[in-house]
Amino acid sequence: MIQMGEFKVHRVRFFDYMPSAIRSMAFNSHTERLAVARADGAVEIFNFADNYFQEKVIAGRDGRSIEALCWVGRRLFSAGLEGEITEYDLENLRPRYSIEAYGGPIWTISSNSQGTLLAAGCEDGTVKMFEVLEDRIQFQTNLSRQKGRIISLSWHPSGAQIAAGMMDMIKIFDSETGQATHRLLVDRGVGTSKSREVVVWSVAFLNDHTIISGDSAGKVQIWDGLTGTLIRTHLVTKWDVLVLAVSQDESSVIAGTSEGTVVQFQFLPSTVGQQDKLWVQTRTFKNHSHDVRALVHTDTAVVSGGMDTQLVVRPLLDKVEKNTQESALHKIAFPHRNLVSCAKKAGLLLFQFPDHLELWRLGESDRNGTPGESLPVKRKPEKLIQLKIKGEDHICCSALSPCGSWLAYATVAAVRLYRLQLSSSNVSIQKVSKLPRELKSVHQLCFSSDSCRLFASSSFSSVVVVALDQTDCKYLHTLKHKSGSKQPIHILSPSEDGQWLATANTDCEIHVFNLRKMKLHCSVPAYSSCPTAVSIHPTSGNLVSVHADQQIFEFSLKQKEYSVWSRQLQRQGLHPLWLQRDTPVTQITFNPNNPAHIMLHDVFMFCIIDQSLPLPEAKSKLYNQRILQSLPEPQRLRESHAFKACKNFQHLLSVNLLEDLSLVVVERPLVDIVCQLPAPVRQKLFAT
Amino acid sequence: MAKKQRGKGASLQKKAENEKGVGDFNLALDSSDDEAPEEVTFEDSKARAVESLKLALDTARREKELLKEKRRKRQEFFQEQKKKKLLSADVLEEIDSVPSKKQKPAEDEVTHDLTQMKRKRRRGGRQRNPQESETLPRSLKGSYTVSTATDRGQSDYQRQAAEDFIQSRLYGPGSCRSSNNEMLSLKNKTRADKSAAVQFVKKDWASKEKAKAEKMKRRWIHKQQIPTS
Repeated sequence: MIQMGEFKVHRVRFFDYMPSAIRSMAFNSHTERLAVARADGAVEIFNFADNYFQEKVIAGRDGRSIEALCWVGRRLFSAGLEGEITEYDLENLRPRYSIEAYGGPIWTISSNSQGTLLAAGCEDGTVKMFEVLEDRIQFQTNLSRQKGRIISLSWHPSGAQIAAGMMDMIKIFDSETGQATHRLLVDRGVGTSKSREVVVWSVAFLNDHTIISGDSAGKVQIWDGLTGTLIRTHLVTKWDVLVLAVSQDESSVIAGTSEGTVVQFQFLPSTVGQQDKLWVQTRTFKNHSHDVRALVHTDTAVVSGGMDTQLVVRPLLDKVEKNTQESALHKIAFPHRNLVSCAKKAGLLLFQFPDHLELWRLGESDRNGTPGESLPVKRKPEKLIQLKIKGEDHICCSALSPCGSWLAYATVAAVRLYRLQLSSSNVSIQKVSKLPRELKSVHQLCFSSDSCRLFASSSFSSVVVVALDQTDCKYLHTLKHKSGSKQPIHILSPSEDGQWLATANTDCEIHVFNLRKMKLHCSVPAYSSCPTAVSIHPTSGNLVSVHADQQIFEFSLKQKEYSVWSRQLQRQGLHPLWLQRDTPVTQITFNPNNPAHIMLHDVFMFCIIDQSLPLPEAKSKLYNQRILQSLPEPQRLRESHAFKACKNFQHLLSVNLLEDLSLVVVERPLVDIVCQLPAPVRQKLFAT
Repeated sequence: MAKKQRGKGASLQKKAENEKGVGDFNLALDSSDDEAPEEVTFEDSKARAVESLKLALDTARREKELLKEKRRKRQEFFQEQKKKKLLSADVLEEIDSVPSKKQKPAEDEVTHDLTQMKRKRRRGGRQRNPQESETLPRSLKGSYTVSTATDRGQSDYQRQAAEDFIQSRLYGPGSCRSSNNEMLSLKNKTRADKSAAVQFVKKDWASKEKAKAEKMKRRWIHKQQIPTS
């Protein structure tokens, strides 16, 4: 615990949040959405048109391991080692159905450019063709069965041929007859790796019948698919080349390696002015510390992800304007939503893991100190409950009531509600058995501030309201809005006085409901960027929202229009450094002692916006707290502006204000995550 | 016919010659050179050939029967063993009492259908035989509940094998892997004010290594102190 300004701060570092490795990615260029599959079976959707915001998360499942993802139109399919192909329902954030391919573990799936067929490469050596129908997929035929496993697949853009990467070879199939027409033999490595089979981890089939392959011997090879001959070999790394990605116009190919590097090849003339082009190794990007297992080549950027769990977007500097926001490197290492719930009145924290929940009681210190001082802890924080999920589906969302006596979590299968009884010596938890049947397919949970109501966002963008009694709960009402959007609601925020409930969905809509009358009160005017945090001020009744493009709005619920301060902020514009931050604000809190304060945080900073102070000019320094502290009093008053940011705590997962006005800051330093990752490759560097 | 006679005649001649040879010793006693060879009719030789054929067939048949007997005895022995393992007859009767007639033919059909299903499954889930649904449901008398355990044996084994394959290719022998500690400690090693490896600097990492290092330090200090004391 430390003293910061007038706040006592609980620095919490015992949340062992561990992200999961990125296993596969697929980009849908029409909707500009990137689907990312993680090793624990979770699928995340990022909106590349909205500042790379993590719009949706479909929770994983024990025993589901995803090896490949594929978009067919607007539909998302995945396949994995349990031998099933799954289609996802992106409006209800759950798998729609799974079908068995009966070929053993599936290593790869790929759809043809017409979107009519889905090919799956299986362990038993068959490439299975599925017909894509309107509401399902149906098995059509097998291509001729091979002796080795099919590790990677690539369709020719015309759909007439398909190249399959196997062990020690690449086979080209004719998709009409199903027969293998060519066999391309891949060399094994030199030295000790000559005794092991070489695995062709990835293949790409280009329009001019060139095949590019990446294999476990570290080579990227260029083949002629018409004659079945090798054109060129590039030895890129000592370890494996795990994944390849081709740009839309087929002029650039990127290869991801076990070293964490991404190597780019471009189709260029060998000497300037010549007509004949060939594939030349151009750039190398090293943005990862561990293996790169997933790659996507968009029109302007290289997107990579792998065992170090971070998603990196590297814009290509010859496609974007230099030194702008567009050309900056983006690293997404933390989730864009809150995994920590805080019971403000009871001093409890609930941590959400994929397969369990942990309830902790915060420590205590009874001394006061000077700002910056570390206070001695009288009673240490202790873990009260570890609650493991029943069943195999992972947790989508969880919530803790402010008084600390109710705990709820939801998976795709069910919602579970528990009653907690905590005394200083005893902890007891009791499951509420009969829940209303309207509580299903829940994406977000939230308790009201008086802990008497539970709000759950459900399908068709509706909110189910349930009343909580001493021991059981009763269904009250379903709140619906009239915009016709079916997108899931990802933010629920009730007001302190229990009169309003603010909801935000991934269609960028914010609707406010009147809880006394149980109907829609108003909708905030549409804004193009998705809201990342929404909260209602306890005294002024204004709704404050922060969006993925870092814009801040304040909307008055009584007058149903933007507030004066908000209009002033829009006129002046936000500071450029504020707009360039690349992590979203996930939580907004208010200080009951000081109604002019809005407290928000992102991964790297915690900021208090003082509405009574002037807004910063574009030329002035945004992060000026340290400087202000060294200035004398009258100058400090002149230089102060509204945005008081503090960068002492990193990396922030959550900031809450308790009832006794002490701050709880949950940090997860990146080093703590890195030291639990699997082993990286052994790099021999000079002079180490 | 002439050929046959010749052939048979040849063998008979040989026999006759042998006899004659034997007979030669007794020549002086019994026969004379002028005597014509014994007349062997066609019927006789045919009879003898037929006899030898019959003998051969008989031995073959006997062998087959012996084998059959052996197999039957073994089968019976196994049945006995199985019966000993099964429940007592009256319990079985109780179970089988209602669909007793359907039992035997259904059993065969069920096993046949199962193998058919397996074969069809392997081809990738084409249309199933519509007759199968009629034979499968079975009602049991009494308070029994039938629950099928999820048979994931085969797919789990395959899945584990696939995961082991990836694990061995990326992290197995020959993959030249280092550790996170080494990767993070490079900065500590190369900067101006060098410090210890990250696993010793961070509080909650590598507690075993830290304990070992602590013990070594104490031992070294003790060793240093002995010559001076």
